[in-house]
Amino acid sequence: MVTAASRKLPAFAAIGFALLLVVGAILLAGADPLALAGSVVQRALLTNAGFLEALLRAIPLTIMGLGIALAFRARIFNIGMDGQLIAGSVAAVALAPWLPGGPVGMLAFLVIGLAGGAFWGGVAGVIKARFGGNEIISTIMLNYVAIQILSWLVRGPMQEKMRIIPRSDPIDASLRLPVLFEGTRIHAGLIVVVIVVALSAAVVARGRFGFKLAVVGQNPDAAHYAGISPSGVAGIVLAISGGLAGLAGAVEISGVYGRLQEGFAPGFGISAIAVALVARLNPLLVPVSALGFSLLYAGLGSVAQKGMVPFPMINIIESAIILVFLAGSTIAIRSGRAKEV
Amino acid sequence: MDEAVFVSALLAAGIRLAAPIALAALGETLAQRSGVINVGLEGIMLVGAFVAVLMAVQTQSPWIGLAGAIFCGAAMGALHAYFSVILKVEQIVTGIALLFLGMGLSGYGYRLTIGMSGSPVAVPGFRPLDLFGLSDLPVVGAVLFGQHALVYLTLVAAALMAWMFRATRLGIMIKAAGEYPVAAAAAGIDVDRIRLACVTVGGAFAGAAGAFLSTAHLWGFVENMTAGRGFLAIACVVFARWKPWLAVAVALVFGIADASQIRIQSVLPMVPYQFFVIVPYMLAIVALAFGSGRNGMPAALGTPFTRHS
Repeated sequence: MVTAASRKLPAFAAIGFALLLVVGAILLAGADPLALAGSVVQRALLTNAGFLEALLRAIPLTIMGLGIALAFRARIFNIGMDGQLIAGSVAAVALAPWLPGGPVGMLAFLVIGLAGGAFWGGVAGVIKARFGGNEIISTIMLNYVAIQILSWLVRGPMQEKMRIIPRSDPIDASLRLPVLFEGTRIHAGLIVVVIVVALSAAVVARGRFGFKLAVVGQNPDAAHYAGISPSGVAGIVLAISGGLAGLAGAVEISGVYGRLQEGFAPGFGISAIAVALVARLNPLLVPVSALGFSLLYAGLGSVAQKGMVPFPMINIIESAIILVFLAGSTIAIRSGRAKEV
Repeated sequence: MDEAVFVSALLAAGIRLAAPIALAALGETLAQRSGVINVGLEGIMLVGAFVAVLMAVQTQSPWIGLAGAIFCGAAMGALHAYFSVILKVEQIVTGIALLFLGMGLSGYGYRLTIGMSGSPVAVPGFRPLDLFGLSDLPVVGAVLFGQHALVYLTLVAAALMAWMFRATRLGIMIKAAGEYPVAAAAAGIDVDRIRLACVTVGGAFAGAAGAFLSTAHLWGFVENMTAGRGFLAIACVVFARWKPWLAVAVALVFGIADASQIRIQSVLPMVPYQFFVIVPYMLAIVALAFGSGRNGMPAALGTPFTRHS
């Protein structure tokens, strides 16, 4: 009999391996793991700049992490959020010249971003719902398509009037999300975050749709009997998830960059997966997890700049965190309780 | 005649571009037939690509580079197997972790070693073979006799795998582990051990696929150079209905599509090149829409085996 208990030792071994991996990688770079950890923490938590940078980064990461969490609850694995973010951003910036200024325009800008991302995620949703095509492959493929289209747009039809740098002209100042705290770059995207967290939490905790997600995720056969169409739910949740990625893109552009350019949110879609998993797919924990990862990024970014370790260390740490989390979840399982994630 | 030369060159290049996808797809076919999906192929391919270049540069032998890539691929496959088969956690999530890990390890290792100087390093890569001295034969020479050794090995592997599934006890045991693990276990088959082996060997294939990219195709390593080929390989497995030969055939379609888009770019300079780059990805999306189905999918794919379920 394979029981949860008999898997405890292998799980601890796996956790040990993940930690060794990180420590080993740091040692290979000729750095001192403790000193490195110290300077990451110091930079991220004990400097104003580091913390504010992390908070700024946590805004899109939370929105995207919520999108991942909702989809994963139904065991729909959207790993194409980077493409959906681009699609939303492109749609918003493309339509920006026709928007009115002020709060209405700002809101419209974000809604268009959401719609653009929902469309891009919806393509994968239709392929999944209508034809049963694996969403992992389609969302990844759509990433590459989106990246190439963006590359063409910022060198072609959407390039700035000066035609020097591959980027668009800035959007109108009246469409920019205002800075919330004087002297920082923290913008009104923070309010968007609060709203989206509250909505997602409400959907998961009380909504009919949240219930459907849970049923589909835990037992698709039971869902069928209950009259829920797993493929229909899959299609919708991919659109929602993509919509949140698009919203995150619009928030980034309106709040930080002000214009479209290549690679403005590098790897956010991938980080969002780690964020959602560590938050145990719980919308209320997603912001905490997002801030945690952002602090890690901010700290590690400055450490990497000083040349202590190369920056891809962040991916190694992210994978180690997920592996530790997976192994940890098998330790936590009580007999008779189904595993989560 | 010009057309024939063009088609021949296109096919030869298509085969070259298809080989890494085919190799990875064969490994994934093996793993999925045993019941385990590995979406971290891309990460394994990246590590394979990096290790192959690193070891080839250090030993001046692409074969040692390939061996290193196969070993590291197997190690990463084993890691996936450990989590998905022993710990029985969600296979997709472990695969995603493997993707991050591969991106991280290859990028990190590259920046610590050959990427340090910033200038390109001469990589002793694989050269195309000249089988029976026939590679200069017009039209068919380059296609049939002038490929890399690994291309021929890929075909041998596909033949062996197809034969194994059709005619050997081991093949039946693997299929049983993927189709009906409870019955397999009742018949005395150690399902977990079969899966561990298949996923590990599948990782070795992906490692070799990465080595092909960096020592036969490009002669160098670039961060994230696989550019989605690992996921294309998974798509191949689905379209090929979990059949080894068909997986190679589908990979060939992707390879030829890729080779064509590169050539058409120079023929039609007025069309932005990005439109051609997306062709293989669009092809995969369209194929996914119209070629998907559960036909041939191992019934227990993605579900950890527990004896009392």
